[in-house]
Amino acid sequence: MLSQTVVNRLKEIVGEKNVVTDKVGLLTYGYDGTLLSGEALGVVSPHTTEEVVEIVKLMNEHNIKLVPRGAGTNESGGTIPTQDSVVISFTKMTKIHEIDTENFVAVVEPGVINFDLQVELEKRNCYFPPDPSSYKASTIGGNVGECSGGPKCFKYGVTRDYILGLEVVLPNGKVIQTGGRNFQSEPAYDLTRIIVGAEGTLGLVTKVFVRIIPLPRAKKTMLAIYDKVEDASQTVADIVAAGIIPTTLELMDNLLINTTEDFSHAGLPRDAGAVLIIEVDGYPEDMDPQVKTISEICNKIAKEFKIAQSAAEVDQIWTSRRCAFGSVARVRPSYGVNDITVPRSNFPKAIQGVLKVAKEYGVTIGVVAHAGDGNLHPLVLFDQRNKEEVETVHAAEKALCMMALDLDGTVSGEHGIGLVKKKYLDSEFTPAAMGAFRKIKRSFDPSNRFNPGKVFEL
Amino acid sequence: MSNVNISKLKAIVGDNNVIDSPSEMAKYLKGKGKPAVVVLPGNTSEVSSIVKLANEQNVKIAVGGTVAGTKGLNGGIAMVMSRMNRILEMDHLNLVAHVEPGLLHKEFLLKVGEAGLNFPPEPYEVETSSIGGCFAIGDSDSKSFEYGPTRTFLLGFEMVLPTGEILEIGNKCIKNVSGLDFIHFAVGSQGTFGIFTKLLVKLLPVQEAKRAVIGTFTSIHKANATFNTLIKRNVQPTRMNLLNASLAKNAISGTEGQLVIIDLQGFKESGKNIANEIAAVLTLGGGTDVKIIEDEAEYDQVINGWLKVRAELNGKPEQTLEFLVGPAKMPQALTQLEALTGDLGAYPGVVVEGLLGYVCLALPEGTDKLALAAKVNKLAMSLGGNIKGLLGHKLKAEAYNDAEMWQQTIGLLQELRQQFDPKGILSPGVSLEA
Ligand SMILES: Cc1cc2nc3c(=O)[nH]c(=O)nc-3n(C[C@H](O)[C@H](O)[C@H](O)COP(=O)(O)OP(=O)(O)OC[C@H]3O[C@@H](n4cnc5c(N)ncnc54)[C@H](O)[C@@H]3O)c2cc1C
Ligand SMILES: Cc1cc2nc3c(=O)[nH]c(=O)nc-3n(C[C@H](O)[C@H](O)[C@H](O)COP(=O)(O)OP(=O)(O)OC[C@H]3O[C@@H](n4cnc5c(N)ncnc54)[C@H](O)[C@@H]3O)c2cc1C
Repeated sequence: MLSQTVVNRLKEIVGEKNVVTDKVGLLTYGYDGTLLSGEALGVVSPHTTEEVVEIVKLMNEHNIKLVPRGAGTNESGGTIPTQDSVVISFTKMTKIHEIDTENFVAVVEPGVINFDLQVELEKRNCYFPPDPSSYKASTIGGNVGECSGGPKCFKYGVTRDYILGLEVVLPNGKVIQTGGRNFQSEPAYDLTRIIVGAEGTLGLVTKVFVRIIPLPRAKKTMLAIYDKVEDASQTVADIVAAGIIPTTLELMDNLLINTTEDFSHAGLPRDAGAVLIIEVDGYPEDMDPQVKTISEICNKIAKEFKIAQSAAEVDQIWTSRRCAFGSVARVRPSYGVNDITVPRSNFPKAIQGVLKVAKEYGVTIGVVAHAGDGNLHPLVLFDQRNKEEVETVHAAEKALCMMALDLDGTVSGEHGIGLVKKKYLDSEFTPAAMGAFRKIKRSFDPSNRFNPGKVFEL
Repeated sequence: MSNVNISKLKAIVGDNNVIDSPSEMAKYLKGKGKPAVVVLPGNTSEVSSIVKLANEQNVKIAVGGTVAGTKGLNGGIAMVMSRMNRILEMDHLNLVAHVEPGLLHKEFLLKVGEAGLNFPPEPYEVETSSIGGCFAIGDSDSKSFEYGPTRTFLLGFEMVLPTGEILEIGNKCIKNVSGLDFIHFAVGSQGTFGIFTKLLVKLLPVQEAKRAVIGTFTSIHKANATFNTLIKRNVQPTRMNLLNASLAKNAISGTEGQLVIIDLQGFKESGKNIANEIAAVLTLGGGTDVKIIEDEAEYDQVINGWLKVRAELNGKPEQTLEFLVGPAKMPQALTQLEALTGDLGAYPGVVVEGLLGYVCLALPEGTDKLALAAKVNKLAMSLGGNIKGLLGHKLKAEAYNDAEMWQQTIGLLQELRQQFDPKGILSPGVSLEA
């Protein structure tokens, strides 16, 4: 429990309403996108960098740890308060300071919801390419924390590629600025890059300089339907071999086709083995030749192929994908989201591996994948109330991670490590690499005060 | 002074790969430092053994691609990576290559091109740069708006740490957020975190279509104004560069006036229309001899001219000053700059990379660089930018009167370096003080 002195001081810093210490209030901050939970000593929501600095200093005086939190949608347990800690919630820091389209930069506070920024940008014919499927809820600070991906990474890259600079409050309570508004503004080491994806373990991000780019002039959305998942993987390989870099290559397997159909009635054939959503963008003149090549590739092996002819048809194609995660809830009450990623050439093997794990452990697994990136989200379905089943699911998820590592992949392509995948890190990394992570953490946070115990133990 | 045990080094890499006669050493060295010996390792385990030996004997090591900088060496070892120059793998399915660090960038580019692939990072020393050096320096080039800076193209590496320990990290996945991002953090560390011994590099499909539009202008301001027009018209070519008159004639002989070079890579079908639009903007903006170049040889000639000028400037870091502002702020920047420099058209050198908002000035003989830097930084800051790199950071902190921020930043950088290299073995010439 927090002492009354600390609580009072916190209230002085951020205002009475922005400190939570009651049981019910704390409960909501004990969860995230995973099934884990924990209880914080308190929750504090600052409005400014100065308030963040005051909070950090106060916590240091009392030797209390801090867990940074955006919208809490992460899939890795990254915001679960474990060790006696206070949650610092950035949801009150929601100002968009500036949007400067001609200089391709926007300056925002970390609590800005990705979607809210996109809406403002779209009015100005611009966008911020990282758009995790959770973009309607997740914050820019959280996107930075996880180095989030989304459906456009194959062409546009991940969050890391769109952060020009950061304002960061360090664990000692001091503020630094990394990078700036332009390329090439890093001071010697690329501090921005190490903070992106550090899951709040190195510093608290209080301002973000994001790179924005003009919306593409044209876009074409296509849908290919296959008998077998392998055929869809073949299409992915063929498109890449043809020298085309689509923005999107999203795949769903038969299970997901059916659950999303139950939910959205988008008209996908329920007996199909897989669907692939393919999108290309760029100048209008460059669209037709690419679409032509892609249709030739797909028509060779797909059971059905169509090109969206209107905005409504584009929407229809995306409807299923957008509700994918939620839709499985009709089958079983709970699901575990995995985030394994393999080299693109091993994608077919990874799909086989998923089927094998499902069979061996007797669990139901559906697959959504960013196929161009080799990034699979096997959703393992179960009932959380059944203890035994939960154990089996954990074992199956471990098997999935080990399978990805055997295929020269990684346990996380975009969701991060947090608590959930921490136990696999020693399998993925050599002791020397783990040592490098610890050296970095020690340089920033020698007393292990920010998000302790996440990603790895110091 | 020969504090290095030469016979032990010879036992590690073989007699032929240890050079300690001063006349022989010279061709592997640049700078005024005096290493005791040059060593050319042939593989990772040799690199590791050399670093361990240096630790035992407490001597410093400077690393270089084909030539090692000797700054900070008085005795000690200069390690040259040029024997480690193999392409270990070219993987078409995953669009990646596995290469050794001593491979020359230009040779890699050749092989990548033959494979029908593309490696966009473009060092300013195109003739001599090694792949290891490219990633050790990091940085952006005038194509980075489209392709991203150098780090975008690193997926993993093998590195010998300052203790001699070998670290491997990364894989062929284009998305990977496991652990901390040491992969990209190591880019730009200039050999202070460790010595790259293998690099896993991301590639792209080759750009089938290439076009350039060039034009000359009597006024540098008019030339530069066309960039703003293009940004306003929502045209983003691959690069959009400007050389002032003094440099332009070195790029393309016979050029009179300020030269605009606009490069369009990709844009297979749209390129014709975009090139026409750009040509019209240049002509309306006061350009003469505006020309669309589609012929491959002529295109290469233009781009190579540009690269030649960049390399010349890159060779004289003491005489150049680089800053950044928002791309659309460039007209204001150049106008205000003239108050400090006089006529920019006649200045020894002005390079503008329009899409990045980057300017490189070649300074007249006898310029007090630091004094000018302070003024230029102020100007750049008022337009959302700063002098490039560590110096810019320092000047910015000074301008904010924020000694604390500077101390924190520099303290953090030094702590990181210290954590990796507690004995201060590697890259003694690299300073983290601006
Ligand atoms: C339905 C659904 C779909 C999803 N789809 C995708 C997807 O397509 N791609 C993808 O990559 N992810 C996806 N995610 C995962 C998640 O939404 C992302 O990781 C998102 O970026 C998290 O943002 P958040 O605001 O919820 O952050 P949180 O979950 O609150 O925090 C994420 C991490 O960042 C840290 N953090 C938060 N704010 C700060 C700050 N200001 N300073 C320092 N550290 C901070 C936290 O400590 C934590 O470690 C999905 C999640 C769900 C539930
Ligand atoms: C996109 C891009 C933009 C660039 N922009 C600039 C610029 O604006 N200004 C500029 O000065 N240079 C710039 N460069 C770098 C410049 O061209 C360098 O001279 C070149 O890339 C370095 O290669 P090199 O083999 O000559 O390295 P060297 O000159 O030998 O070494 C350069 C640095 O890298 C380290 N190094 C070399 N090899 C290794 C290795 N194997 N492992 C670890 N460290 C190593 C050295 O210790 C040294 O600190 C840029 C490079 C790229 C790729």
